[in-house]
Amino acid sequence: MSVGLISGSENTAHFTLDPRTKLALVATVCTIMISGRVGGIMTVIHPILALVPFVLLLFSRRVKAAVCYMIAYAAAYSMISFVMPATSGIISILIGATAGIIYRMMPSLITGYFVVNTTKVSEFNAAMEHMHVSTKITIPMSVMFRFFPTIKEESSAIKDAMHMRGISSLRNPMEMLEYRLVPLLMSVVKIGEELSISALTRGLSGDIKRTNICKIGFHFPDLVCFLLCIVCWICFVLHMGGIV
Amino acid sequence: MIQIENVTFTYNNSEEKGNLKNINLSINQGEVVLLCGESGCGKTTLTRLINGLIPWYYEGELTGSVKVADKEIREQPLHTLSQQIGSVFQNPRSQFFNVDTTSEIAFSCENQGLPETEIQRRIRQTVSLFHIGNLMDRNIFHLSGGEKQKIACASVSAGEPEIYVLDEPSSNLDVTAIDDLRDIISCWKAAGKTVIVAEHRLYYLMELADRIIHMRHGEICHEWTSEAFLKMSQAEVEKFGLRPASLKQICGIHRFGAHSSGSYKVRHLAFAYKGEKQSLNIPNLSLPHSAAAAVIGKNGAGKSTLLRCLCGLEKKCSGEVETDNKTYPLRKWAKKCYLVMQDVNHQLFTESVLDEVVLGTDSTDMEKAENILNQLDLLPFKERHPMSLSGGQKQRVAIAGAIFSGKDILLFDEPTSGLDFRHMEQVAGLMQQLKRQGKTLLIVTHDPEFILKTCDNIIHIDNGSLTEQYSLDRAGIAKLLDFFELR
Repeated sequence: MSVGLISGSENTAHFTLDPRTKLALVATVCTIMISGRVGGIMTVIHPILALVPFVLLLFSRRVKAAVCYMIAYAAAYSMISFVMPATSGIISILIGATAGIIYRMMPSLITGYFVVNTTKVSEFNAAMEHMHVSTKITIPMSVMFRFFPTIKEESSAIKDAMHMRGISSLRNPMEMLEYRLVPLLMSVVKIGEELSISALTRGLSGDIKRTNICKIGFHFPDLVCFLLCIVCWICFVLHMGGIV
Repeated sequence: MIQIENVTFTYNNSEEKGNLKNINLSINQGEVVLLCGESGCGKTTLTRLINGLIPWYYEGELTGSVKVADKEIREQPLHTLSQQIGSVFQNPRSQFFNVDTTSEIAFSCENQGLPETEIQRRIRQTVSLFHIGNLMDRNIFHLSGGEKQKIACASVSAGEPEIYVLDEPSSNLDVTAIDDLRDIISCWKAAGKTVIVAEHRLYYLMELADRIIHMRHGEICHEWTSEAFLKMSQAEVEKFGLRPASLKQICGIHRFGAHSSGSYKVRHLAFAYKGEKQSLNIPNLSLPHSAAAAVIGKNGAGKSTLLRCLCGLEKKCSGEVETDNKTYPLRKWAKKCYLVMQDVNHQLFTESVLDEVVLGTDSTDMEKAENILNQLDLLPFKERHPMSLSGGQKQRVAIAGAIFSGKDILLFDEPTSGLDFRHMEQVAGLMQQLKRQGKTLLIVTHDPEFILKTCDNIIHIDNGSLTEQYSLDRAGIAKLLDFFELR
């Protein structure tokens, strides 16, 4: 079982990747999918990269998410390939814009979702340590991850309280934003302070070298992922140079 | 082990309460010391002196000397102190750094830079000592308050400090979780550790405490052994502004309420959270008019869910309510209900107390609003920003809003968690006042003393269904005390 950075959903799969592999995958998928180069070898590379988040989700037994993603992606793809050429004018532009955004962004977003959902905070810290990133950067970052679920919890409590007080979000949007944000900030600041006190009394400081009990390391799936990344990057660079 | 000599401390931020005057205290190795006293008496400040948060986190003027194991606290940095002194705090939600439990227990060991095999050994040892094998590798956000507090204790314990300092650790816990906390403290005591607990709830520590220290206005004014303390009568204990030492003392405090006419009959209440088959199923429930009913049950029994369903926050809940021979669908009836939540900081939105009271209603009857504020002793604060008030005042502002909304049924989620005797009395008085005004109250609480002071009815919930509903007559009181295992 592992617990993710942000949403923290519990995952029962035995399939794990090293956090560094995950970062490499995110970097590859994001850069190549969003860069917007088309034609040539890219017609092959794009669908392969689009399959990456699908496969990752399947292996980590998030079948529902994987299927939803695949359907959305296939729809966007067929919109661009079949529907758009048959239309013209404003409709064509509209379809092109929406489907294009899904087609380009979805794979990166879903890969990102996979990473934050399956990486523990301490795994992340361990990976950063192996990459010689300073604790001055990793500690604030891990606290930041810790805060996403807190904000979600606090925010939903505030929403309920607003409902109780009969403040609906329609009447005056600016005021609503204030009502939502001010109590949220107050409580998040308070939790942040209590959290730092608790961490300090348990000896967190920048001076001592921390141990990390998290075991991370490269295995066969990591090798496959890295090979895929390297191949994609080679094709991408060659394509930029106009060779393939 | 701990020597505090002639300590006087004033916080730099003058608004902060709890300054200390002329404290002299010496605590031996292996002692369990209980600090008690009203909110703001300085007991929390005293714990901060011992764990080094003063002067390393909270700034102020400190004279005198605080020594732990013959070393001056202010000459050692916090991370060195943390190896000898472990701290557990009040709020279980804000004490964990990681998202998963196992990493959290390893946290203090990792910070000490211990070798990995040693950390693994300590985790195994702590897990078996606290019987928390079932909590390993879980997401802390999915745990209950009591489970979170157990993990917080385990995390501190894995660091193997000699001294444990606990600041109101039971505030957010129910009866079973408090029992577990007692077991944890007795483990530490058995291992010869020194434990200092600042607390409002005293009863659970009576068997463990070697000394009980009472503080008032920043000074130590009494010291008892637990035998001497238990010999005092309820009246004497109350005179010191303290919660009862033994819950047996509280049996005599119930005030019998007047019999009310009619009731709300809630029928066929059913609700399921996403992914669950059935979270709440109550075929029949009766809420007498102008009376208070306490909702009791274990953590996760569905008490809060019941409140959320009744006040319409869970829209998928089905049911109906009959009153005065008329039947309303639950959704319509829910408009008469108002929920005052446990964390008041979530429910204050505006820039002044008066605005806060009238918020969300179309009525701008300022006179009525000021009247309500007056009843709740809040009139002098009507121009103040609600966030600048004390916890108890904030809670009263939230209640003022509830009264002004004109709703007939007021629901409260844990209105007395973390309150000292005087503030608990104040809230109890307020509840009596609301009943006299004809409001019907439904209160989720883990506080038997508060129930006896305010409630007329008990609704016992277990596993999402109604175990029993009874009125608080002599037989009812016996049943209630049985539930809290007080006999």
